[in-house]
Amino acid sequence: MPRREGPFTDLAFLAMATTPEAHTLVPASGEQLGSSRPAAPVLHDVSVMIGGQGGDGTLTVSDLLAHYFRTRGLYVYTSRNVLSRIRGGHADASMRASVEPTWSQKWKEDLVVAFDDEAARIGQNHLVSGGILLGDQGQVKVSGERVHVLPLSVTAASKVGNGLFKNTVAYGALSLIMGLDAASARAVISARFGRRGGDALERNLKAFDLGRQLALDQIGKDPLLTVEDGAAKDHILTTGNQACALGFVVGGGRFFAGYPITPATPIMEALQRYLPQFDGVVRQAEDELAAINMTMGAAYAGARAMTATSGPGLSLMTEGIGHAGEAEIPIVVVDCQRVGPSTGEPTRHEQSDLLHVVFSSHGEFPRFVLAPGDAQDTFDLTVTALNLAEKWQLPVILLLDQALSENAQTGPRFDLSRVRIDRGKLLTARDIEGMAVYKRYEFTPDGISPRAVPGTPGGEGQTTGNEHDEWGHVSVNRENRRKMMAKRMGRLELARPDLPPPRFFGDEKARIGLIGFGSTYGPIREAQRLLKKEGVATRFYQARTLWPVPVDSLQAFLESVDVAYVVEHNYMGQLKMLIQQYLPSPKLRSIRKYDGDSFFAEEIVGEVRRSGGTP
Amino acid sequence: MTEHVKPVPPTWCPGCGDFGVLASIKKSLSDLKVPLEETVLIGGIGCSGGIHNFMDGYGFHSLHGRLLANAVGVKLANPKLTVIAAGGDGDGYAIGMGHFIHALKKNVSLVYVVMMNETYGLTKGQASPTAPVGYRGNVESPFDAVLTALSIPSASFIARGFSGDPKGAAQLLTEALKFNRERKGFAFVEMLSPCVTYNDTYKLWREKVQNVTSVAGYDAADRSRAFSTCLEIMEAGRIPIGMIYRAPEDRRLPSLDQTVLPTLEKAPATTDISLATNLPRYQKLVDALT
Repeated sequence: MPRREGPFTDLAFLAMATTPEAHTLVPASGEQLGSSRPAAPVLHDVSVMIGGQGGDGTLTVSDLLAHYFRTRGLYVYTSRNVLSRIRGGHADASMRASVEPTWSQKWKEDLVVAFDDEAARIGQNHLVSGGILLGDQGQVKVSGERVHVLPLSVTAASKVGNGLFKNTVAYGALSLIMGLDAASARAVISARFGRRGGDALERNLKAFDLGRQLALDQIGKDPLLTVEDGAAKDHILTTGNQACALGFVVGGGRFFAGYPITPATPIMEALQRYLPQFDGVVRQAEDELAAINMTMGAAYAGARAMTATSGPGLSLMTEGIGHAGEAEIPIVVVDCQRVGPSTGEPTRHEQSDLLHVVFSSHGEFPRFVLAPGDAQDTFDLTVTALNLAEKWQLPVILLLDQALSENAQTGPRFDLSRVRIDRGKLLTARDIEGMAVYKRYEFTPDGISPRAVPGTPGGEGQTTGNEHDEWGHVSVNRENRRKMMAKRMGRLELARPDLPPPRFFGDEKARIGLIGFGSTYGPIREAQRLLKKEGVATRFYQARTLWPVPVDSLQAFLESVDVAYVVEHNYMGQLKMLIQQYLPSPKLRSIRKYDGDSFFAEEIVGEVRRSGGTP
Repeated sequence: MTEHVKPVPPTWCPGCGDFGVLASIKKSLSDLKVPLEETVLIGGIGCSGGIHNFMDGYGFHSLHGRLLANAVGVKLANPKLTVIAAGGDGDGYAIGMGHFIHALKKNVSLVYVVMMNETYGLTKGQASPTAPVGYRGNVESPFDAVLTALSIPSASFIARGFSGDPKGAAQLLTEALKFNRERKGFAFVEMLSPCVTYNDTYKLWREKVQNVTSVAGYDAADRSRAFSTCLEIMEAGRIPIGMIYRAPEDRRLPSLDQTVLPTLEKAPATTDISLATNLPRYQKLVDALT
């Protein structure tokens, strides 16, 4: 079969056939929904989409459902589709709950809640055949056998005193339609609004009860569908951003400077709550230039320091990343990728900064680029990034993406037993007393010079972005330049054993490989499960170190398979390009998506099936 | 005694105004007995920005225009340090202008010394933001940092010295350092520091400088009086120098470092980050997640 070539060919996602359960609302028992009122199907994998205008509170409904199903032991994954503005414009949120491990969106929605007609029309396109649409009366004009229109906003306005409570009214109606346990569903409201103060909790509970009553009066007491309970009852619901913030705190991070930018801001906001409890400081800077330079100042002074941004901010930070490389200042830079270039689509998902973070800034210097796949991995790798930055005295970039940053997902509680603090060759006054000479940039076999921070007697020295000699004085001496370049760049090779290894999933003997980084972890793992059901064995290489390129493990992986699909969210196939630089293997194939949405497992399955898994 | 880096001889042209500034900084640090290990000098890019190489202590060479952002990070990581940022007017008022304004607004206890010479000496004499109309074809009217600083509500220490008056310059720097050591906020000192190669203004400035104290009834604690007096002196074709404005204690806004780090001992760079110390509190944070 000829190799399908050209990184610019597009994908034909929708031409594929998919498994029946992806397309119709099928109960776990296999019983098909009929036109009469059958017993409510019991689902083991449900997705609910809530749509309306920005400001309608769709995310709140998604969040309440997510927490309900978390407490019922299901795996939950939420996603969102919002415009970059505070109010107005179509916005929707999806909440998926599944008995099986899940970290991605469901192909079709089983239930849509629409606060207006636009949301209803959009929602209908996403509904599984036989799916249910719950609409706000007076707003939603679509009709159909499985469309239920209830006076959500009117009830909220007349009986709770504010139409904005329509979202909680809808949650109340959903609780009946989906057969939720009323006490547990109310408990989720209490957990969310209990600490708000005022009458927020009371009014939300009232709205919930009114919604439940509306559904009872107008649809009937029997649920339209029900969802199986799951076994993962001790899981938490969290996001990559939350995991990153917490990882930073427990990894000893004590200084953070940032500039508000979607989708990275929640990291700063979480740290504004956490860090003051630990003698730490968070500053909102005047721009990203200041943010990275404040971060460098704090790191130079001996604090573990980090900044977080997205593409546009990263572009401004590139001069700073280079300075940290030349001056050997340990900083961590988080890039929560979004659609670029320029302002792009601020709220949407992409993985197109990969080559930027690998090559950003002029000149040559060492940096590590790490990419976690899920929230728990983000927690672990944030700690790792802090240790690597300080041990190897260089900038470490933690590459997230919008889906990983913002989509809430369930997983095990973060594991503190794996946390280690390694400050590398950080000198105390006593260490220095025992040294005949202290040179900030001393040549050493491992390329790492012992480092004293301001305030340490005897450690006085020069830290600079100019090329310098061992003392830190400006130098244009040729031999010195060669040696300094070798000292800095050599660390890229020497550090390899320290860098996070890939994670492998699936069948070790599989001949079909999948390679991905970041949030594609979720859809790839689900695609593996779907393919397995069809008898297709796959093995997934989750890349967690992207720079330096982990050539050895990639080579071994490529040798073990006949074909390897590189799955990524960009136009050019950037990860594939990066791998091909070192391993120009004809086995490498590309699966790309760059429409602002994250992969559905079915899209990956379709591509693998379409090419028959052959090179 | 461990051998560590020694200052290198200045690379400045003979007669450069920056020599006077360097001498003033050294004298002030020594007069105030600031411990060497607590001294951090952050230099910008340009002739003047190399100043950290020419003296003892901890030195940091910043990116062009970014020295104040670095300095803010250093001070907020460890408020025990005495942090001096020093650079030129191109560095501070052109590429670094945003950070300058925001440093005045943030009001972190730093000393910022701008060696002002109206030109980009290191790149051979282009017009800087303070260059007068006519200098090298410049048609834009010059920027004035003192008037700008006076308009920022949190600015509490604004001075201008002249390296041709080393005694006066050293006095201002000593005052600025004292202000800084007491964590009172951002101290801005512009030093008129002629470039003998591309814009030798020694003679001109000697004639033009006028200390504000020469104006009858001048009160450095009166911001609006300071502004109008400076403006009047400038309109008379002269350059106002001296202790321009120092906020009276009852009107001085607290420094950011004092606000976010009330105790000197507990700060990002000096707090204990070991797991042994923090694990129980970390566990609480993790347990609170749902």
